[in-house]
Amino acid sequence: MKEEFKVALAQFPCKIGNKRHNINKMAKYAQQARKQKAAIIVFPEMSLTGYTTRDLTYELAEEIPGPTTEKIEKIAKKENLYTIYGTPEFSEKGKGILYNTAVLIGPEGYIGKYRKMHLPTHSVFEEKRYFRLGYQTPVFETSIGKLGIIICYDIFFPEVTRALRLQGAKFIICISASPAVRKKFFETLTAARAIENTCFLAYVNLVGIENGLQFWGGSRLISPSGTIITQSKYNDEDISFGRVNYEDLKPIEAFVPTLRDLRPELYASLKELSENL
Amino acid sequence: MKLTNKLLQINPATTQQKITRFIKDYINKTKTKGIVLGISGGIDSATTAVLATKAIGPNKVLGLYMPEEETYNKTDHKHVKLLAEKFKFKLKTIDLTQTLSILYKTIPDYNPKDKLSRGNLKVRTRMLVWYYYANRQNRIVAGSSDKSETMIGYYTKWGDAAADISPIMDLYKTQVRQLALHLSIPPAIAKKPSTPGLWPNQTAEEEIGLKYEILDLILYGLEHFMPTKSIAKQLHLPAKTIATVKKRWLQTEHKRQMPLTTKLQYRTINADFRLARVTEVV
Repeated sequence: MKEEFKVALAQFPCKIGNKRHNINKMAKYAQQARKQKAAIIVFPEMSLTGYTTRDLTYELAEEIPGPTTEKIEKIAKKENLYTIYGTPEFSEKGKGILYNTAVLIGPEGYIGKYRKMHLPTHSVFEEKRYFRLGYQTPVFETSIGKLGIIICYDIFFPEVTRALRLQGAKFIICISASPAVRKKFFETLTAARAIENTCFLAYVNLVGIENGLQFWGGSRLISPSGTIITQSKYNDEDISFGRVNYEDLKPIEAFVPTLRDLRPELYASLKELSENL
Repeated sequence: MKLTNKLLQINPATTQQKITRFIKDYINKTKTKGIVLGISGGIDSATTAVLATKAIGPNKVLGLYMPEEETYNKTDHKHVKLLAEKFKFKLKTIDLTQTLSILYKTIPDYNPKDKLSRGNLKVRTRMLVWYYYANRQNRIVAGSSDKSETMIGYYTKWGDAAADISPIMDLYKTQVRQLALHLSIPPAIAKKPSTPGLWPNQTAEEEIGLKYEILDLILYGLEHFMPTKSIAKQLHLPAKTIATVKKRWLQTEHKRQMPLTTKLQYRTINADFRLARVTEVV
């Protein structure tokens, strides 16, 4: 397993419903990432279709693995890259069962998927109208270590990232479609999740304007001490690169030993308390 | 939450950036050639026009000034010319006096004493001309409605709020004033009392019965789910005043939505069809 590798964060404005355009964008950025010798490239939430697909989600969703994963597999193989992108997915059990999903594909092919656990359905968001909640927190074994993936609003719920970290994921990837008014929350929470779990965290956000919503970009790679290793532009299309070095975890794990100091007895009461709001 | 003017302070530079980005993006996505908008000499249309020129360049912005005899105001006319000269957008003046006079004669039940219906007729006639230019020159219509007036329904349905985009609709009037000054719109325009121009000497604040500084705080409180009583207490106003504003807001929702229909089919327009404005399904 590689202890050190380069990460590419690619944020671009999606064309709503135009998969071909969006895949071509991913291919272009994957090529750039290979030239920079990155080991992994991350694209935003719903980067295959755009975020505000609304009723079109039913016709745009795909089974995973499916037709698009085959296309991304070719790109990942050609550029020798782990690739993470977002897509609406329909379950093999029914085309009306949709998920907001992140897909991980490696040079060797399709690896796995994460289905968003927390679906915002408030303010301008209407995800529960279309999607079913995800129920799993899988981690993925790769040549760059165990990877954990979360999607956007999941970051407001520290237990998801914690569950991934406790399964050994030292690199967490959060793909997102966050509109500008929420920038401050994400800038705080991305650093918080990295610090409290002593892990690296890559956050990749959408850019562009969809239906009046302005997505702010600002993708970033954050170290276990909360430092921003690299950051993409605000509001504009961009790709940025940063390095993950797992060796850097040692000193911070000794300095802020959050995992050592966990109090498991609290979790049982948290369950009970959250069932009785 | 403490209701003070501080809550209504905006960062004008960031706001300008967001709105101009929005205008430019919409023009690009709709592949249209520019913007047409009504210019009245007031702060809202001035701010929208200047934002449009900053977003897509003055050559792509057409302002239509459409006075008519009854409400003609020399100062407004002067301000319109001043604005177009300063920000270099195209301006056309179209006198609607004759058109309206024919229209009044054409309507069998026309009643000159009904000020509101006549005023609304004027506003809707302007809208017809905006859309004529939009069709003719492949432009989109930019509306100039602000959040204060839109929330309380202080506008003409299918008239001045009829537009393809409304760039300043999420800004309260007091916030539009901040943005206008930041955009170097002459203070004579930015600080002038607002009027819908339906009849002579009509001013918005007089008609609404509140200064915008107060109205905006009331609306801000309502927007943030504050109870009527708390707003009244904080602003040292009778609860009845807040209740009146709230009533205006709730009772005018019909103006802010597409026409209501009754559900008969599988997916119904406006009820459960949900689609993005611009899609590119292939």
